[in-house]
Amino acid sequence: MRALRIALAQGTLLAETRVALAAVGLATDALAEGGRRLVVPSADVEYVLARPIDVPTHVAHGAADVGIVGKDVLLESDADVLELVDLGYGRCRFVVAAPAGSVDRSLDEYRHLGSLEVATKYPRVAERHFQGRGLQVEIIKLSGSVELAPQVGLADWIVDLVSTGRTLKENSLAIIEEIAVCTARLIANRVSYARDRERIAALASRLETWAAR
Amino acid sequence: MKGALPRGFRDILPTEARELHAIERTLMHAFAQYGYVPLEPPTVEFAESAVTVDERRTVRFLDRDGRLLALRPDVTTAVARVVAQRYRQADATLRLAYFAPIFREEASMHGSEREYDQAGVELIGDATLRADAEVIALLADALARCGLPAVDIDIGHTGFVDGFIAELPAEARDTAGAAARSGDLVGTVSLARAAGMSAARIAALERGLRHRSTDLAAPRVDAPDRSQRALDTLDALRPLLEAAGVDGAIRFDLGYIPALPYYTGVVFQAIVPDLGFPIATGGRYDGLLARFGADRAATGFGIAIPHLHQALVAAGWQAQAESPLLLLAAHRDDTTTLRVAAALRGAGVAVAIGEVAESAGQDVRRARVIDEAHVEYEGTVRALEAVIALLTGGGPR
Repeated sequence: MRALRIALAQGTLLAETRVALAAVGLATDALAEGGRRLVVPSADVEYVLARPIDVPTHVAHGAADVGIVGKDVLLESDADVLELVDLGYGRCRFVVAAPAGSVDRSLDEYRHLGSLEVATKYPRVAERHFQGRGLQVEIIKLSGSVELAPQVGLADWIVDLVSTGRTLKENSLAIIEEIAVCTARLIANRVSYARDRERIAALASRLETWAAR
Repeated sequence: MKGALPRGFRDILPTEARELHAIERTLMHAFAQYGYVPLEPPTVEFAESAVTVDERRTVRFLDRDGRLLALRPDVTTAVARVVAQRYRQADATLRLAYFAPIFREEASMHGSEREYDQAGVELIGDATLRADAEVIALLADALARCGLPAVDIDIGHTGFVDGFIAELPAEARDTAGAAARSGDLVGTVSLARAAGMSAARIAALERGLRHRSTDLAAPRVDAPDRSQRALDTLDALRPLLEAAGVDGAIRFDLGYIPALPYYTGVVFQAIVPDLGFPIATGGRYDGLLARFGADRAATGFGIAIPHLHQALVAAGWQAQAESPLLLLAAHRDDTTTLRVAAALRGAGVAVAIGEVAESAGQDVRRARVIDEAHVEYEGTVRALEAVIALLTGGGPR
């Protein structure tokens, strides 16, 4: 039987993911910091290290059987995967933020102009949210430093991912609405989940028990 | 853009086209063996007719009358329309089969095709469990006839999860059901928990979603009545499948929840090792035809031909040739060449005169015309009859 292939999001989640995997009995030594290999064989599993946004794609296409990635990435990706376990760590929030003190003014403008400009790195999440609220907005897709947009007049509001909220505060932005709370998830390819049910369900149960500790 | 093709469309070159034709013949023959007759739907439908595919995934355009049309996104829609219009009064069961290209809009850069072949059957007007067993057996049989080894058929029942969801307050049901179909099992369970489902029920739901086995005892514990009835149905299905000749390839998989919302009972998918997509999916969809004005029970399946082809090729499969292709080196007299070619073809030998640039993976042999009754084949001058016998299996190759 071939090794179960696990796609892992590189970056901020990886350290805690290693802790989680080690806690449920998987060998994680090969994932040591500073490694450059992207496909890492390890005992009875094989790890694939990918950028977070690519993890759902790997799993949806069956290039990896399961993956560990943030719910924030899943919400933005639209990939067809199964979400099996809420791992609890990597907690962050999708929020709508506006320059502190200008919320009333921008809503007044919205009534006049009929539209608001919203800058974000997460256009799908932002679009879905405002559609659900019945607010007409123009989404401006940026690749970074979204907090900057209201200060320089690029947008009225922003939709961004925050963990502590410090960056927002330092840029005089206030949260006006929370869209979703996101944590790390164990995801699976739909067919792998059927074919390798024993191994994947066992991994899911162990991770769930660990997450509920 | 000279020579370019729209994204997601491609030329299917002769080698692959031959293989696809071989698959089509095998499948349509298997379907016919069970009494399924072919239906050929039109390529274009009104966009609003598409019921089983998200409208954003149909390839749409306006015609000169200003009507919004769509390239056929599936064949089930056409079947539903045909049944409602032409067989509205029919009481007997209707068995339809198809092999047709379908068109799906895909987001750019997803490595997906917008046109691909789908083959399948629809069994209309039979609500019995025997009908469910029949289509599952037919799927297993058809894939086996294609030469696909190691295929697993996963069988679930929409009623299992629905039984749990039905116990939730009305406002939570739609969200929980949509979450389950979209694959968000975390969301389904946490919605159920937030809506006040008991710990025992939650545990039963989670246990069920992870259950894949030939045995259905474990998921019965603490499951609601409606879910129990779904399990009763699956238990009753097992002996029918055995009797219909489906071997040990089946597994009951309560975590298999199709993405489409119109399934209403036994559902299934065919999977193989090392392919991240199912080869075929299907199930019972009583109620879909009612949308077209013909309330009839229905079940069926669709095979994604590119996935089947990919799995066959990965398993070392090759399209079987009926007989080798004979390349005939011409005589200086064209009438002699043409007479010899005609005589050979008349006896069932495939003949091309001269060389071919593309043999499409066929078994190719060569011969040279000597006179009207003789060719040189494998280094020996032989009478046409002898060569015919060699090439059509009438003697040792």
